[in-house]
Amino acid sequence: MRFNIEELEVLFPYPSIYPEQYAYMCDLKRTLDAGGHCVLEMPSGTGKTVSLLSLIVAYQQVQPEKRKLIYCSRTMSEIEKALAELKALMKYRTEQLGYEEEFRGLGLTSRKNLCLHPSVKREKSGSVVDARCRSLTAGFVKEKKERGEDVEMCVYHDNLDLLEPHNLIPPGVWTFDGLLKYGESQKQCPYFTARRMMPYCNVIIYSYHYLLDPKIAERVSRELSKDCIVVFDEAHNIDNVCIESLSIDLTEDSLRKATRGVNNLDRKITEMKSTDAEKLQSEYAKLVQGLQEADEARNEDAFMSNPALPDDLLKEAVPGNIRRAEHFVAFLKRFIEYLKTRMKVLHVISETPPSFLNHLRDLTFIERKPLRFCAERLTSLVRTLELTNIEDYQPLQEVATFATLIATYETGFLLILEPFESDTATVPNPILHFTCLDAAIAIKPVFERFSSVIITSGTMSPLDMYPKMLAFSTVIQQSYTMTLARKSFLPMIVPRGTDQSRITSAFQQRNDPSVIRNYGNLLTEFCKLTPDGIVVFFPSYLYMEGIISMWQGMGILDTVWKYKLILVETPDSQETALALETYRTACNNGRGAVLLCVARGKVSEGIDFDHHYGRTVLCIGVPFQYTESRILKARLEFLRETYRIKEQEFLSFDAMRHAAQCLGRVLRGKDDYGIMVMADRRFLSKRQQLPKWIQQALDDKYADLSVDQAVSAAKAFLREMSVPWSRVEQRGVSTWDAEDLAMHKAKQEEEMIRMLEEEAQNGGGMVEVDEYGGDDLDEVMADLDA
Amino acid sequence: MCPVCKSARYLNPDMRFLVNPECYHKMCESCVDRRFSQGPAACPIAGCKRTLRKARFRTQTFEDIKVEREVDLRREVASVFNREEDDFETLQDYNDYLEQVENVTWNLINDIDVEDTRRKMDAYKEENRRQITRNHSNAAQEAISRKAREEEDHELTRLRRADARREDELERQEKSDARKGIINKLATTKGDAASIAREGRRAELKKSSAQRVALDKKRDGDVFAAGTENGDAGSGFTFKGLKKRVAPPPEKPYDPYGGWSAEKEYFSQQDFYDWDYLSNARTDPRHSAGGYDINDYCARALCDAFSGFGVFIEDEVSGRDLGSTPSMATTAAAAVGGERVDAKMEDVF
Repeated sequence: MRFNIEELEVLFPYPSIYPEQYAYMCDLKRTLDAGGHCVLEMPSGTGKTVSLLSLIVAYQQVQPEKRKLIYCSRTMSEIEKALAELKALMKYRTEQLGYEEEFRGLGLTSRKNLCLHPSVKREKSGSVVDARCRSLTAGFVKEKKERGEDVEMCVYHDNLDLLEPHNLIPPGVWTFDGLLKYGESQKQCPYFTARRMMPYCNVIIYSYHYLLDPKIAERVSRELSKDCIVVFDEAHNIDNVCIESLSIDLTEDSLRKATRGVNNLDRKITEMKSTDAEKLQSEYAKLVQGLQEADEARNEDAFMSNPALPDDLLKEAVPGNIRRAEHFVAFLKRFIEYLKTRMKVLHVISETPPSFLNHLRDLTFIERKPLRFCAERLTSLVRTLELTNIEDYQPLQEVATFATLIATYETGFLLILEPFESDTATVPNPILHFTCLDAAIAIKPVFERFSSVIITSGTMSPLDMYPKMLAFSTVIQQSYTMTLARKSFLPMIVPRGTDQSRITSAFQQRNDPSVIRNYGNLLTEFCKLTPDGIVVFFPSYLYMEGIISMWQGMGILDTVWKYKLILVETPDSQETALALETYRTACNNGRGAVLLCVARGKVSEGIDFDHHYGRTVLCIGVPFQYTESRILKARLEFLRETYRIKEQEFLSFDAMRHAAQCLGRVLRGKDDYGIMVMADRRFLSKRQQLPKWIQQALDDKYADLSVDQAVSAAKAFLREMSVPWSRVEQRGVSTWDAEDLAMHKAKQEEEMIRMLEEEAQNGGGMVEVDEYGGDDLDEVMADLDA
Repeated sequence: MCPVCKSARYLNPDMRFLVNPECYHKMCESCVDRRFSQGPAACPIAGCKRTLRKARFRTQTFEDIKVEREVDLRREVASVFNREEDDFETLQDYNDYLEQVENVTWNLINDIDVEDTRRKMDAYKEENRRQITRNHSNAAQEAISRKAREEEDHELTRLRRADARREDELERQEKSDARKGIINKLATTKGDAASIAREGRRAELKKSSAQRVALDKKRDGDVFAAGTENGDAGSGFTFKGLKKRVAPPPEKPYDPYGGWSAEKEYFSQQDFYDWDYLSNARTDPRHSAGGYDINDYCARALCDAFSGFGVFIEDEVSGRDLGSTPSMATTAAAAVGGERVDAKMEDVF
């Protein structure tokens, strides 16, 4: 399907388009034209990715400067999906245009997924693969080889050097499979092909971490130009990703390993002094000049990189007292000893970076400035020593990163030392959490560097929370609803049991037998009436385990057992994968199954229960976070003081985005249908925080039901859904072909003219529009905007 | 296990170990009491003949005894070499200085040329005693101000926390009040229930948003009010690349006349004037008893006689016009005053 948005011709690889896709593309184009950031929420299963890609690719081809697209997604499977989508799109474009465009689209993932080396690729753990790969491909290994030493190298990597550096792979879109196959046939390394070709690509698809985690971003995404278009898909958790990428946990064990690492370094330095002293001397000479010069040696095989974002670090010279290798090693030893001493304390400590630094200086005479250079200095030293077994130094690197971060940021971070794992534990097992409180720190360089950043997901309500938390301003914030030819999902809020008593997972009442019985009743009833699969979400593992054992005692599980197979998610990912597989088999084979899982677990994000895999989702309780956690408390306080976000506001926002994620699991497209049950008294007041597309479908009459009412409503709904129905009925309503689109455009223009006339008549057209009110208003507004 | 008395933690669960910075040999508290309470004695560890004093025993801070010793040495070195970055002209000089200091420390820690290094250090200390003390006092000052700032911060966060709690409380209170109000209204007044409820809710919303705005404003004010900056003074030294420190000129004694002197310009007074009618007064105790001083009288008389000198009539006359016109300020003030009068006049009723 070909159509125009304003002057831009968009080629859409499907014969029809959803109205919300069209609106989404229009808003995207406006954002790109204006050159700013935007937040867009579009229901899951309405083809976000394809609309994004087709618009941006069309935009790229028209624009003379050909801005690069960086598409970030969360999981490997989503990245692969996006690559396949892009490939289909480019194929369609070639067919339609009649010629092949000069275009490169590549995905990047870890070495583990892209390795071809016969022995390295058999390694199980990703970090081992990384380390072994580095030891085979590092620059100094090559130098050694040239000197005639006998070292092992990777053939696949070496072959790359024989090719033209800007044309390692022919143009086109390469999925991971395609890349691996091409690499195998040409005997070249797919990972480094992708890495090195990144500056020459039109579209790059990879994981968030390559852009957000400063440790990786520094290496991978440094050369990307300023005018790139950055897209974060499935970005509802982006603040947590940002925070995690800058938080570090240190344990006694990791400190012990770090000590071992330091001692190894020490030994290596002594060795090198006796054999190759001039190398150390030349490093020293470079450091005297400043890191900038030392940095020139840095290339993609460098081992670690600097997590601190400020540029001034690179321009300044390394402080004199850590310039010499042996001085630096002694410095690290002292720092680690200090941390060990701190770990001995038997009460909880929470302190700010400045107070930590003061104490550190009083005790060990470590100043702030050399501490800041710690990570960078370590990188340089490791490079000079030409270490190959880098994975041994991982804990040491962590400590150095910690040092650099704590000396760089005064605010937005907090140190929390928890000597005991739980409140009742008596044997200390201290963990030093260095936690980032401010999500804006990690993402700030992204917003500063790139002119257009698009943040999009299926569930982002309330939209203004994200700009607030991540400290950026938007050109457009928009939430789209789902146009449906028939009402294909039924959201319900069930705050009461059959006996009219309130049901809730609030802490004081959650273990009430009546609450548990009512939840059990809800489950059995829905197991009876739902065909195929049911997914049940609990707020936490702890609560789930408790309630399951209570249900067992009450005989509820025996009843459920008659209708459905019962499967449970566990924190262990392999067990869960097995449970999921069994669940799918059960759904394929007949009476179906019920999957009990946790709202913040693996199942709740990234696993789709489309069609018969999920006909009902029960959300038992509001999935609030564990509020007694010290880290969460600190973050809440930070949010309140810095961004004026109240504790309650944030907690409820966070709970509702997870709840919405869970609910969205069952509906993965327009011909899918499902029931969504929110079973908690507290959902009544949180109705406004649901994404708009759910809110719109949530009728007032379904917003306050008891269990038996919900059951009869669900029965009626399922009966309605079982009426034969074909996709033809959607045409013109929830899917548009070219004619419908033309009609819509004409109507829109008419509307526009009418509006202008009205405005001319009474000078206040916008006030008039307000009178539409409610949900209609938003549609009208969306149309107007488009 | 204590290496001296061989008693173990198993037998004595609250055993504490102490070390002496003289030799860093570890022993338990009771051993220290037993051996050193009678005054200085030799270290009981075989092969170590150092004399230890009880007062200097202390608990070990670091697990690694080497680090413990290193830190002690560093404390010593840092007390001598305490220069700051501001003291140097370029960053490179400062870095070179840091490296030299680190070398000194390194030598002491690893027992390389200890004698020589110590000697050099002492010499340096003697040479720069004044500067060292000054930097010390600077550092102490800074520590104090930092502490004050920290306390202030703590206090501020405490206040903010309390504020937030109060706010929440207030909001909850208000919400429940409003709800009660609506229910009361519904119970007492006649009319459309839905419209009353809507009205009540709207009022509530308005109130809460207004409150939020007010609170935000208040907080903004607080933020601006808080936050004071402390500067620090630098000091100079004679290392390489040292900044030349210009000593401030000594402060002059306070001059109440601001540089104007009452020195006589046109005459000089003598101690004695042969003046007939004064000779009597000079000797008569009745005059001098009252505090009458002939010299004062003479000075006054001379001043009267010469005071006309240095006054130039032409200048005074030509300057008179300028002086006589009233200054701008006075005219303005007069104008304002006049206006006020006018206003009063106008406002008769």
